[in-house]
Amino acid sequence: MSHHLEASRNSCALHGALQLFEAIDGVVPVIHSTSGCGVQHYLGVTRLSGGNDTFGSPPVSSSNITQKHVVFGGGSRLREQLKNTVKVVQGELYAIVTGCSTEMVGDDIPAMAREGRDQEWPVIYTNTPGFGGDIHHGYHLALKALIEQLPDILKSREEIPSGLVNIWGIIPNQDPFWRGNLQELGRLLEGIGLVPNLLLGNGQNVASWQQVPGALLNLFISPWGEFPARLLEERYATPSIICEGVPVGNAASILLRRLTDRLELDPIRTEEFITREESRLNQQFARLADSYYRAGFQREFALVGESAQVIGIGEFLVNSFGMLPRTLVITDNPSESIQEALDSRLMAILPGYCTDVLFSEDQSEIHDVVRAGQPGIILGSSLEQEVAVELGVPFLALSFPLFDRIVLERAYAGYRGAAALLEDLGSAMLAGSKYINEAS
Amino acid sequence: MSPLRAKAPRSREKRLDTLGAWFGPVSVASQEFAGDEIAQRIRTFAQSSNDDLLYALRILSGIRNSVTVIHGPRGCAAAGLYHTATGSNTRWIVTDLDERDTIMGADGKLRKSILALYHRYQPSVVFIVGNPVIAINNDDIQSVVEELHQELELPIVPVYVTGFSSQNAVSGYDTVLHSLLKYLSGKSAPTKKNETFNLLSVAEHPNDRKEALNLLALFGLELNIVPDDSTIELFRSAVAAKASIPLCPDAPEYLGLILQEKYGVPLIKVSRPVGIEGTGRWLKSIAAFLGKESVAEELHTRKAAETARKLGDFSLQGIKVYISLSSSNAFSVLDLVEELGGEVTGLTITHLDRLHVRHLDELTTRNPSLQIHVSDGQAFEEVSILRKLSPDLYLGDSTHLGQVARLGIPVVSLESLALVGYSGVVRLVRRIKTALANGSYELALAKAASPYHEAWFRRSHNWHIKQEVK
Repeated sequence: MSHHLEASRNSCALHGALQLFEAIDGVVPVIHSTSGCGVQHYLGVTRLSGGNDTFGSPPVSSSNITQKHVVFGGGSRLREQLKNTVKVVQGELYAIVTGCSTEMVGDDIPAMAREGRDQEWPVIYTNTPGFGGDIHHGYHLALKALIEQLPDILKSREEIPSGLVNIWGIIPNQDPFWRGNLQELGRLLEGIGLVPNLLLGNGQNVASWQQVPGALLNLFISPWGEFPARLLEERYATPSIICEGVPVGNAASILLRRLTDRLELDPIRTEEFITREESRLNQQFARLADSYYRAGFQREFALVGESAQVIGIGEFLVNSFGMLPRTLVITDNPSESIQEALDSRLMAILPGYCTDVLFSEDQSEIHDVVRAGQPGIILGSSLEQEVAVELGVPFLALSFPLFDRIVLERAYAGYRGAAALLEDLGSAMLAGSKYINEAS
Repeated sequence: MSPLRAKAPRSREKRLDTLGAWFGPVSVASQEFAGDEIAQRIRTFAQSSNDDLLYALRILSGIRNSVTVIHGPRGCAAAGLYHTATGSNTRWIVTDLDERDTIMGADGKLRKSILALYHRYQPSVVFIVGNPVIAINNDDIQSVVEELHQELELPIVPVYVTGFSSQNAVSGYDTVLHSLLKYLSGKSAPTKKNETFNLLSVAEHPNDRKEALNLLALFGLELNIVPDDSTIELFRSAVAAKASIPLCPDAPEYLGLILQEKYGVPLIKVSRPVGIEGTGRWLKSIAAFLGKESVAEELHTRKAAETARKLGDFSLQGIKVYISLSSSNAFSVLDLVEELGGEVTGLTITHLDRLHVRHLDELTTRNPSLQIHVSDGQAFEEVSILRKLSPDLYLGDSTHLGQVARLGIPVVSLESLALVGYSGVVRLVRRIKTALANGSYELALAKAASPYHEAWFRRSHNWHIKQEVK
């Protein structure tokens, strides 16, 4: 039995599926649930991720079931809603997602999707009641629906480019920098001669998803990418590579070398690319040195976010920026085996240094452990600002929920992302430099 | 029988014939509400819209020193995070019901949560909020409420919202206010009145409340503000107050009604204090109750002149304005726009019912062909109407301003703009001037693709709204 949660930052499965579907051009989610589910998603997720409002409104189709449907079943209401959605809302693919109420009532969703397909409408479905799991679970369910159902509905005409790599595990909005991060990862892959399949974000559409089976490799960037990679390995025998954290700074070089090795790419080309990128980043490091020492950037930090963010950003700050990892909090609730692996990796992030590692999504637990660590700067979601204010230390909002920043294309991944992170972190330090004396 | 005996009040549809879907000229609406029988409408194509749970959370977000437990799956608490982002100090907890809980029940989990929160935060009240899962399972919240109330000597207030039993989110205000009175205000009318007056403020902007207080200072009243930014003590004293003054005739209607019917606190009938004349009318209605007409008259004359001076030569002459707001707000902003010389070309309101008959009748006399659109969250319908009307300005607080602006129409968001009182007029005018001065952002937005098929805009605006078959 799970514990209650204060200010949970991992909303429900329905919202997770919406995150994914809304991030693909041409996919129209059709919610079969009570009317408020889509508004909850808009208020509690979309509005809190810094400028990610796809439609200029909450989700554009919802069956809004009422008492009558709870008593007598809502199948006919869904049939009507689906029929009219196809007429009204432009889309290449309609994805039925369900809420708790219609699942408890027992509406036959596969049958409704089948009826739609009999009309030659491109319809997929996934059962996503909120009681089934959190936003990460919903991400999995939506991926599964796309991977399993799409090939039967739409036949791909386009030729699949050689050297195609699918990228998995970056969840829209749960990583507020998802668009930028995917684009930077794509740029890195292109740099060594691969063709990235970003799947989500600007310009990514149903056709991108139709190319999934033809990829050379699946690259997954967080523990949440393992599931689709496994699914694809079973179906299409596509091999995969895992990179547990968003690769920030020189971690990108490690990833590029692994890819080069694994896919037998031209090592000279890869090394040339890495050299160019690293030397640019090193120059940026050097230009920052005066501010770094003068304003006392080197200090203990607390970092709160999803596992891929904490690993990627945490390791970068420790391995390249001289900072001291006081408290690391992972909020995305990964499975126990992953927690064990992450725990030993993060406890020793700076060998010999005492780092507190906590897995929690409960605000009171998180704030207690961050407060107890007395860090010199806090990096986390906007919820952690109150602790920073309380401790009088600088603060940088970078994880979900993000309600005091706008993020459109900014990335913290890769070499360019590392520079952006240094800009934001440095700016926060300077803005809070009146606290230096207490903090250092 | 006490009106508070039931777990929840009757829905607005049942009590006030509230409609959530309707489109047509105001004269037809007026005629329909003149009759006895009002047919409910349903949509065969719908978009997400608020429900009673979301409106309940709005009210609970403003009760000080409280903890709100949403006894349901995670997603039902998402809006809590939004309230935190916008400044609520309430602690938002979700019991995170899983599949097993939906089969076996989860009152143990609820009990454990409340105990833990009680020890951690020592709140003065705990709210337990229902949702579709709890409602469909008919989970036993009541026994947890009673046991823990005795054990902890703490008010524990269950709020039986369901997400589906009313088509109108405004019913959620009634449900939560019903529970607040039932559990916090005592079983019967107090024998002794106190010297206070209630200011009924439901989900209002803090600056609106501040402005109302400034205005009421004129009468030297001691005020209890409920439920916004209030404490449980204020609910106890509210039932002994001399009278209730609503800040809006709609959202706190049920609260005012029960305070009057069950506890004998007279409800002063007022319209919303928005616009120069609207604010004057509000003050004069209160003054009439207090027998202080001349004081209100004098203030209004002075403030009206002062406001006119501040507005200078500003006029909305020749500007076609579309308004999309919660119902009473919309009718009062309509008056304000006309006061400023503008022409209102259409109106979207969240719901329409017997509380609005006076407005319908007045508008029918003035402008019988004015189109009234009843909808909450139905962006598609609004976009369709707006394309036909092509207004010069849109005033609204919906969650789909982004879609409206993509039509190239200048938008003023009233979601966080305080409109009450004379100062509200000045504030709104400043925002309107700003919006009309530079439309370059809307022109840029107009390049974004529409989510909808072009062909469907050639249909009537309400082809998908049908009369409900009983």
